[in-house]
Parts: sequence; structure tokens; C-alpha cells
Amino acid sequence: MNKWIDFSLKNRLLMITLAVLLMAAGYFSYTKLPVDAFPDVSPSLVQVFTETEGLAPEEIEKYITFPVEAAMNGLPDVEKIRSVSNFGLSVVNIYFKDGTNIYFARQLVNERLQEAREQIPEGFGDSQMGPISTGMGLILFYYLDDTTGKYSLTELRTIQDWLIKYQLQTVPGVTEVLGIGGWEKQFQVVIRPDALLRYDITIDRIIEKIKANNLNVGAQFIEKNSEEYIVRSVGLVTEIPDIENIVIKEEGGTPVYLSQLADIRTGGAVRRGVQTMDGVKEIVSGMVVKLYGTNSSTVIGKVEAKMKEINKALPEGVRIVPYYQQKELVEAAVNTVLHALMQGIILVSIILILFMGSVMPSLVVAISIPFSILFAMIGMRFMGLSVNLMSFGGLAIAIGMMVDGTIVMVDNIDRMLREAPPDEPKIHVVARAGREVIRPILFAISIIIVVFLPLFTLQGVEGKTFRPLAYTVALAMLGSLLFAITIAPMLSYLLMRRPKRNNMKAANDTVVPKENRVVKILNRIFLPVIRYFVHHRVLAVILSIALLIAGAVVYPRLGSEFTPTLQEGTIILRLTMAPSVSLNESTRMTQIVEKRVLQVPDVTHVVTRIGRGEVGAHTDPINSAEMYILLKPRNQWKGVKTQAEMEEKIREVVGNVPGVLTNFTQPIQMTVDELLEGVRAELAIKLFGDDLDVLKEKADEIAAVIRGVRGAADVQADQISGTPQLLIKVDRQKIARYGINVEDVQQVIRAAVGGEKAGQLFEGIRRFDIMVRYREQDRADVNDIKQLLIETPDGARVPLVQLAEIREMVGPRQITRENSQRFITIQSNVVDRDIGSFVEEGRKAIESGVKLPPGYFVTWGGQFRLQQEANKRLGLVIPVTLLIIFLLLYSSFSSIKNTLLILLNIPLALVGGVIGLWISGQNLSVPASVGFIALFGIALENGMVLVTYLNQLVREGVPVDEASVKGASLRLRPVLMTAATTALGLIPLLIATGTGSEVQRPLATVVIGGLITSTLLTLLVIPAIYKWFSTRVNGK
Amino acid sequence: MKMKTIINLKNLTMLIFLIVLSVSGIRCTNEKSDQERARETTRESEREEVHAGDTVVMQDTVLLEFGITTQIAGAGILKTYVYLPGEVVIPPGNLAHVHPRFPGVVKAVMKQIGDMVKVGETLAVIESNQSLTDYTLQSQINGVITEMHLVKGEMVDDETHGFLIADLTKVWVYLKIYQKDLPYVRPGQEVYISAGTGFPEVRGRIDYISPLIDEGTRTGRARVVLDNKNYRWKPGLFVTGKVVTAKKRVNILVPKTAIEIMDDVPVIFVRKRDRYFPRPVALGMENDESYEVLRGLTAGERYVNKHAFVLKAELQKNEFGEGDEH
Repeated sequence: MNKWIDFSLKNRLLMITLAVLLMAAGYFSYTKLPVDAFPDVSPSLVQVFTETEGLAPEEIEKYITFPVEAAMNGLPDVEKIRSVSNFGLSVVNIYFKDGTNIYFARQLVNERLQEAREQIPEGFGDSQMGPISTGMGLILFYYLDDTTGKYSLTELRTIQDWLIKYQLQTVPGVTEVLGIGGWEKQFQVVIRPDALLRYDITIDRIIEKIKANNLNVGAQFIEKNSEEYIVRSVGLVTEIPDIENIVIKEEGGTPVYLSQLADIRTGGAVRRGVQTMDGVKEIVSGMVVKLYGTNSSTVIGKVEAKMKEINKALPEGVRIVPYYQQKELVEAAVNTVLHALMQGIILVSIILILFMGSVMPSLVVAISIPFSILFAMIGMRFMGLSVNLMSFGGLAIAIGMMVDGTIVMVDNIDRMLREAPPDEPKIHVVARAGREVIRPILFAISIIIVVFLPLFTLQGVEGKTFRPLAYTVALAMLGSLLFAITIAPMLSYLLMRRPKRNNMKAANDTVVPKENRVVKILNRIFLPVIRYFVHHRVLAVILSIALLIAGAVVYPRLGSEFTPTLQEGTIILRLTMAPSVSLNESTRMTQIVEKRVLQVPDVTHVVTRIGRGEVGAHTDPINSAEMYILLKPRNQWKGVKTQAEMEEKIREVVGNVPGVLTNFTQPIQMTVDELLEGVRAELAIKLFGDDLDVLKEKADEIAAVIRGVRGAADVQADQISGTPQLLIKVDRQKIARYGINVEDVQQVIRAAVGGEKAGQLFEGIRRFDIMVRYREQDRADVNDIKQLLIETPDGARVPLVQLAEIREMVGPRQITRENSQRFITIQSNVVDRDIGSFVEEGRKAIESGVKLPPGYFVTWGGQFRLQQEANKRLGLVIPVTLLIIFLLLYSSFSSIKNTLLILLNIPLALVGGVIGLWISGQNLSVPASVGFIALFGIALENGMVLVTYLNQLVREGVPVDEASVKGASLRLRPVLMTAATTALGLIPLLIATGTGSEVQRPLATVVIGGLITSTLLTLLVIPAIYKWFSTRVNGK
Repeated sequence: MKMKTIINLKNLTMLIFLIVLSVSGIRCTNEKSDQERARETTRESEREEVHAGDTVVMQDTVLLEFGITTQIAGAGILKTYVYLPGEVVIPPGNLAHVHPRFPGVVKAVMKQIGDMVKVGETLAVIESNQSLTDYTLQSQINGVITEMHLVKGEMVDDETHGFLIADLTKVWVYLKIYQKDLPYVRPGQEVYISAGTGFPEVRGRIDYISPLIDEGTRTGRARVVLDNKNYRWKPGLFVTGKVVTAKKRVNILVPKTAIEIMDDVPVIFVRKRDRYFPRPVALGMENDESYEVLRGLTAGERYVNKHAFVLKAELQKNEFGEGDEH
């Protein structure tokens, strides 16, 4: 160990070169690190989407969802398969174990998807995997601004789908661009049913004829005079008249053209989503999805550049206007931590100069900061971490701690240089000083790294959020350790001078060595106090006990929350309407709310997405709308400062909207919540079974039973029904009489009411569907549908109502399944009681109170499961961590008593953290817990430094009482310095208000609060009671 | 020594305190969010309570904002219809065939297809083979020549079809009556005949219903006689007949937009000052636009006739709020 120092002192040039190289490598790594706003907490998930126009949830489940699920069963590393069958859309989520390579997972899914596709009936849609992205992949939303007002929504959508989309998708790092809003252009063949009667033609025949008159073929080539001519026959329809002139039938030489049976026109496809703006208009918009693992800020930059290019190519007056960009968030979050980092470095440097009194030692210590940070960068690159709020937050937290090791080292060298005999070579003095403290430094820093162990065991969202922080702290500390024991002594040797002799003499005369003014003043105050405490030890004990009691009193008063919500800076007002609502009505209601929101003077625009556009990003039904509220720059807000206050202001203006539930969310939060499991309640009882009606009935029963259990709150069974259906049930006896097949009836229903695709029309490479459908007035309501005529084999025509039972009913809004079984969730929170016993009681209550049919069963899950697991894990990991610390301390001091004395720091530090939270009005939360964990290490460090020195003095023969006083006062400088640097390094995080500061603040509060009490303790209580713990007390 | 053990004990207790503190710290941080959620939901439920008892309170400004309108319940005339496909035909009594009486040679043809002819007007002159005298073919009715099979010099015999003359001043419309509509269609009912865009809708009456059902199509047949002075209705034209199957004065007539379905029951929202109650109603007859209300709504009450959905959604808000997972 000691050879380290000797080696580096001897090979100074080598060491400097290595250090510079290392820092350069660090900087290089930094430039290569991906930059994100937050750590990505999305699960390892592959989504399979299948869109089938017009199918109800039951059919989607039967024909599509089930085959897909069945194919995915048994894939390696799959944790869970969940599916949602909605109207027209099947979404199967295949959750893989955390950490599974996403490309590997996709490959597995893709192989099985082939099987699934074979099982899905022809024409029921094509299953596709979602974009190669995560919940944070939606990096930019834009809309098309048409200043001329002469482009229709269909034209704008065509521009989006065929011009902008493909251009943007060429940008590296963009995996998909999804359009929404306006109308997707299609060519509509609008059939007049009476004309079918008149000409005795069926709708099938029309579809067949259109398909048969719309194709190009190639016929190899012919040879002509030694040249080859390629033969091609062109017969594609290219414009509306081509379609109109398709001959459907010929009678006595008179052709019946399609135009005699139908109107052909361009129109909009059926849509399940709308994009509105400012309460007055519909717009066309798009979203850019980032490829998994790419650097958000780089991709956004490239997308912006591409947009500028595209804007030039767009028709005059049309341009792309981004309305949400993750870049702003990324920049804001990174800025917050970078500011904190810079301010921390400045504050720490000021402290150094104040305490060290001279520039050179301060410089040596200060260099340890960039060294440690750049060292951490190399590690981050190797571990694949991105620059984000949490990873850089870790550096900001560690800033004060990074210097600690070097402070101790430099302080000791400084002191030794002053005390050493003038004839001893400088290099020896430095080596001696280094050897003296290398062990305590090694142990102290190891302990700090070790206390972060529990963080590495965090799972799920918290794990993904806080693990990067733990990693960077550990890495930076490792860097600082490296610096303190190799570079620092060498630099000290090069940069620090020995003081002049006459000063030395004065210093030796008094207990207070030659120190700078600040330390002198502090010592003057401190000395009498410590003397008093050392002579009245009971007082020290009383002080500690008083502190502990204060902590015990305050602790229960703290509120608690999970993780404070990260403020993304973009506010979304989410609207939920009745599940039965029509798209037109939800658009109308949304626009009313948009107008209300615009009344807030700070709001510039409101852009809302209702339902879903192209599949891939969102699967929302049409009763759900997400309103992006665009605000003036923050410094122009009137009367409010924070995002929360702004939300409150908007909430007041919007008020209660009849028929609409409103709540605030944020873009990333929303997407991630969607990908994670749906249930957010404490307790989720899942009832599995086959029959939706039985599920609903039994779920309501279970909810009633659970409500009766003491402690139950907010009990709610999922509303799985609520979508009106028009059920047409073909009567087999009746069709038998006419000789009609069920399919004959259904084909007419599908084509007439829903419309059927009859090929595509190509405009260059753009292709648009040709849809055949009855004209609206002949299919718009129930009575029209009852009148649909079905042809019998002998040519007669029978109205549908004579062949089928047609009734209106309320059907399921969606069918959710987990691991291949339908289920319904009953959510509950638990108030004022232990969840474990609640679950026990609830289980018994359901067993006795609800009779479940065979095949139906209940599982218990929800947040409480995760909590139980987390508690179990931490219950094990924290004691183990303490044991490791204990062993480290013990191996350092070889004394159980010393070790216990140092451990005494921990509870007193915790008390300070608790009080800090209480004073600042914050809650116990995960980041606060992280702060407590960090405190463990920091608090111990000070104790170690002091106790080491006290032991040394005692060994040198100084009486215990005197050693206590002298040691405390001599170690006042390093102890105060390390505490002050750590605390001040955190002050910027404490006072920051930028994006992401809300997550770091509780952490900083806890550490600063804890440092205050633990430093007090280190300086007053430890020397005072040292006598009881001193190893040699009996010997003396 | 004893002192030391005490201290050590105390230290141990502190250690335990510390473990408990940190573990419970983590635990509580997890427990936390339910309190918050509980708070949220209470806020929610407080808001719902305003509407408790199936009442919605709504200010007129909000009413206006959401385009909700009301009207006073009252009587009205309700017509119900069935729509029947049909075809314009020439009434058989308005057709006349003209045949040569004796074989002979056509000496002159006076008329062309499309010419209007009157009773007794000469159509053609034929020299008889037997008597070698000329005789004339004359129209027996007023009408238009629709078929002509004679040309000058042609040898004709008494089998030859000469002319077909149709009187199209009146035409018939045969409407097909599907089985489901048979009970409702009766002679004397009002019918509106239309042939699509460009044709005016004309009013007529069903004057006859065939007592038989067509064996091929299984449809009944109703007849409507239409005036056709301007020859607009061309025989062979497909038409649709909208038959007024009932026309009655009902005590309460409401537009269909007033009806919402709640828990499988039709309701109408009734207004009392600024309060709105969903009132279950029994519905009677209906047509495309309106319902007859049999019970539940009395004349003079003010009810919501448009966008009542907003009120229904407001009442059901707490149901669709939770459990919205995807």
C-alpha cells in the first residue's frame, strides 16, 4: 500500500502523463455518452399491434389476440404477456426480464409472429411489432401549419404521410414517424343501393370487377433486330374517371358503368383519432419516434435540420411546426445538474481556500474534482449509462465527497511539512505524511462506496431511476480514491512549499498550530466548548439523547410519497370521456375544453390528440384525449412560478367539465405509465375467468366484500363494459328457408356498412385504398341497416331484418388478458393498517363471501407485492451493508469499541436528515432514502478521521482527556472542511428550481441536515465520550 | 466495566434504531403514494357528491357552451313510414295493340315511334291481299306510339304486330312489400314516390294490394297510380315508395336526440331550474326523427332535446374514471 505513494512520488512524469491521459479519455467518453433527460424506466417490452378495421373487442380477442398470445407463450425470458383487445385494435405486450437485449427479444417475437400470422384469418389484419423504442422514444411532435388555408385536411395528411414521413424516417436514429389527424385519403366508391336493385348487381360483383380492372403486368421481352424490348401492359387506374368507367355488366351490348351504380370521389378513411388545436380547428400532425439506445439530443438536432430542408420542399404556405420537443427537457434537466455541478465546484473551491489558507494545496484538492468526474465518465461509457438527471445528479452529490480523501491527504502533508525537521528531504516528508493517512482514506472511501450497495439492489422503476446515481457516485469515489493516494501526494510534492522556519516555532508552542485566520477564529470558539464537554461527558450523552428524541418525535410527522414527480416542463391535460362517446362528440367536447384552457393568459396554444393515429405509439380509444398546453416562456408567467402552480391555475380556469374527467400528466410520465403495469393502486385483486358477464358480476361482488374489510379505501372494480353495440345475429332457420349462407349475409353487412377494400390506386408511388361502401344515408342508422337487402340464390332479395335478429346492447369496451386468460381487476388502497393482515382477511372474506364458478380464480398483486419484495430485500441488504461497514471499520481500528464509537455517528446523522426534511416541509420518499444511505458513509468518514487521530495521540502517550481536546481541535480543520465541502457541494441542488430539481432536493436536504448533526457529534460528542471507548483507557 | 457494557448496549439499541429507521424509511416511502391517492380520490368523490342522487347541476352559461338545448314537452303528429322498392309500369288498360286484320301489303305508314295519336287517327294503310282494297289501321286510344313493326311495302299477315300504343298520362307504380312490412301496408295509405336525385317526390295513395305473394321473390305487391301528364315517370324506372303506415296525434312527441340510454333504460333529462334529472320513459311509436313518449314525461315539462349525452356522461363520470388502463 505504502509503495503506491513511493512509486508515484518517484515516477512523477509517468504519473502526470497517465493522469492527463486518463482525463483525456474521460473527456472523450463524455462526448460519446448518450444524453437523456431521465434514466429510461421503460420495461423490456415488445409490443405486437394488429389493426383490423371494424372488428369488435370480442372478435379481436378471438381471431387475433389469442393466436398472437399463444404463439408467444414459452419464449425464453418472458415474464408476462398482457393483451388488450379494443375495438379495431389488438395490442399484445410481451414483457421480458429486465435487461434482456431488446433486439434479441424482438427477434424471438418476430419468429413466433410468423406462426401467429398463419393462425389469423385472411383479411383480419397484419400483426406488427411496435417501433424499436421505449417510453421515452417520443422525442418530437409537430403539426402542419397551413397559412394559406387552401389545403384540405386530406391534402395535408397526404403531405404528412407521403412527403414528410418518409423524409424524416431517413434521419439516423429515427425509427418511425407516425401521423395522426386530418383524413387519410382514399378513393371511395359510394354505392347507391337502389341502383344495385335496378341493374340486378351485387356489391361483391362490384368489388370483384374493380379488382379485375386495375393492374399492370409484365410479359418478359421480345427480340427485335438484335435488341430486346421489354413487354409491359399498363392497366392500372390512375384517376377517378378510370374507376368510373369500369364496366360492371353488359346487357345486350349496353355496358353498365360503375358510375351508374356509384359515385366515385376522394374522401377520408375511417379514423380513430383526431388532432385539434386551439378549440377552433382540426390539424394534421406527426410524432417522431427515436430508435432505442440512440442519443436523444443528437437525433432531435438532426430531425430539426431535416425539417428545415423539408420545409423548403413543402407547398408554399405550409410548414412544419414542432409543438413538443424532448430536447428542451433534456437540455433543462442536464442544465439543472450541470449548474449544480459548476456551482458546487465553485463553492467547494471557496471553502478550500478559506480553510487551507493558501492557493497551492487548494489547487491540488480542486484538481481531484475534474479527475474524479472524468474517471466516472470512462466508467459510465463502459457500463452504457447515459448522461441524465440522475447520473449527473450523482456526480453533483458526490462533488463534496470527491475532495474528502484528497483533503485529508493534503492536510496531513501540509501539517507535516510545517512540523518536519528542516533537514528531512521534502520527498520523505510527503511520503511519510501520505503513509500515515492512506489507510484511513482507503477505508473511508470504501465505506462510502459500500453504503451505496443497497441502491444497487433496488428493482423496477426505482431501481432504474436510482441505480445510475449509485453507479456514478461509486465511480466518482473510486476516481477520487485513486487521485488521493497516487496523484495527490505527487502533486503536493510538486506544488506545495515548506513554510519558513520561524513560523514553525510559534506553531509548536501552542496547541493551535499555525493556521489561517478562519481556522484560528473557529478554534478560539471551539476550544473552550470542547474542553467543557470533555469534562462534562454526561452533557454529551444528554445532547445525543436529546437529538435522538427529537428525531423520534419528528419522524412520524413526516409525510410520505413515492418518488417526487419529475417536472418535465410540458403540461398535458388528459381528458377521459364516457366509453360510449363518438369521435365527433369527443372532438366537440375537447374543443370546448381547449377554449377554456386558452382563457389562461399564459397559454399560447393548445394542441390535442384524441384517440390514436397510426399504430405504434398510442393505443388510446377515442374517449381519451391528451391536451398539450403550450405556455409562454416561464419568465413571462403571471402570478405563478412553478409548474405545479401553473397546473393549479389551469385547473381553476378549466373547472369541472360536464361529462369529462380531467387530470394533469406529462408526456414521458404518461407514456411510461402506460407501458408499465396498468394498476397503480396499493392492492390489485385480479379475477381470472372466461365469461365477461360472470367476471363483471363476480368482480362487483368481490368489490362489495372487500369494501367491508376494515382499512379498505377506494375500492373499485374495472368497468369493462360500456360500449354500445348493434348486434346482428343471423337466424339460421330463416336463412335456411331462403338457401342463404351466413357468410352471404355478413359480407353484405361488412361491405355495405363498414366498407370493403377493392385494391389501390397509385399516384406515382403514393398509393391510396379504393373503398367500396354504401352511401351514408343508406347505412347511417339501425333502420337503414335493417333494410339492407340480401340476395337469395334464386335471385330474390330479402331485407336483413327478416333474416337476423338486430338489437342494441352494451358490450365490452375492451378485453384485457394476462398470460392467456381474461381478467378483471379490483383495485383497493389500504388505510391505517398493515397490508399483510388486510390481504389475509380479504382472502378469507372472498372465500366465504363470494362463490366463484369452476375455472375462476383470484390473484393478489399490486404495489404491495413490490413493496414486500423491496422490504424483504432491503431488510437483508441494509444489515449486510452495516456488517460490511462494521468489518471494514474493525479491520481498520482492530477495536470493537472504536468501531462502535464511529457507528454512533449514524443514528445522529439520520436524526439531522429527518429534521432537515421536516423543517423544509418535504416528505419521506425514495430520493430521501437515498440521501439517508449516502449519509451513512459521509457520517462515518468524519468519525474515522477523528478517532484515528485520537488513537494516534493516545499511542504517543498523551493522556486521554488531553488527547481528546487536542485531537478535536487539531482535526477541526479537516473535519469541518470535509463536512463543509460535502454540504456546500449539495447547496446548489437544494436551491435549484430547474427541471429535475424536485428529485434531487430531498436527497440534498437529508444529507445537509444529517451532516450538521453528525459533524456536531463528531466534534463534540466523540471526543467527550472517547474515554469510554478508548482502547488504551485501562492501560493509562 | 459495567459502565462500558451499558454503553455498548446503548450502542446496540442505536444500531437497531438505525436499522429500523432506514428500513421503515424505505417501507414508508413505498406506502406513501396511497395516502396521496386517497387524497386524490376523496377530492374526486367530493366533486361527485355534487351530483349525487342522479342530478346534474348546470349553469346556463355551461349549457350554452356545450350546445345543450331544451324545449317544452308537448303533443305532435307522428308519422311512421316503411320504404318499399318499386317499378313504374304502364297500366295494362292504357295499352293498345294494333294488328292488321287481313294479310296484305303496307302501302303507307303515317306515324313514327314516339308520335302522339288520338282515337281513330290513321296509323297506316294496307292493301288487302284478298280484296286488293286499302284499309287503314287506326288507333283505339289516345296515346303515344311505343312500338312499330311495319314499314312501307312490307308483306303483313294477321299475325303481324302492327303498333303498340300506350297512354302514359297515368302510370302505375308496383311496390314490393317485404314480409316484414306486410302487416302495416294497407290500401288508402299515403305514399311518397321518389326516383332519386333529379326526380321530384310525388304524393300518391296505395289503391290496391295484391292478395297473392310472388313465389319467386316472396314479396307482396302494392299499386300506386300516378299522374304522368309530363311523362316524367318512364315505365321501367325504379322508384322508392315511402308509405305512411301510421299518422297519429300523440300526447308527447320528442326528437330522437333527446333519448339517452342509461342502464338499458331510455331516459329523458328533465330540467328543474338549473338541475337536470334523468327520467326513465316508456317509448311508443317512432319514426326516423321522433319518438312517442308513453309515460315518464308530461306536457309542459322542460326537457333537454340536444346533447343530452353530456349530462349522461357527467352522471356516469365516476364509473369511467377508474380502471381506464391500456
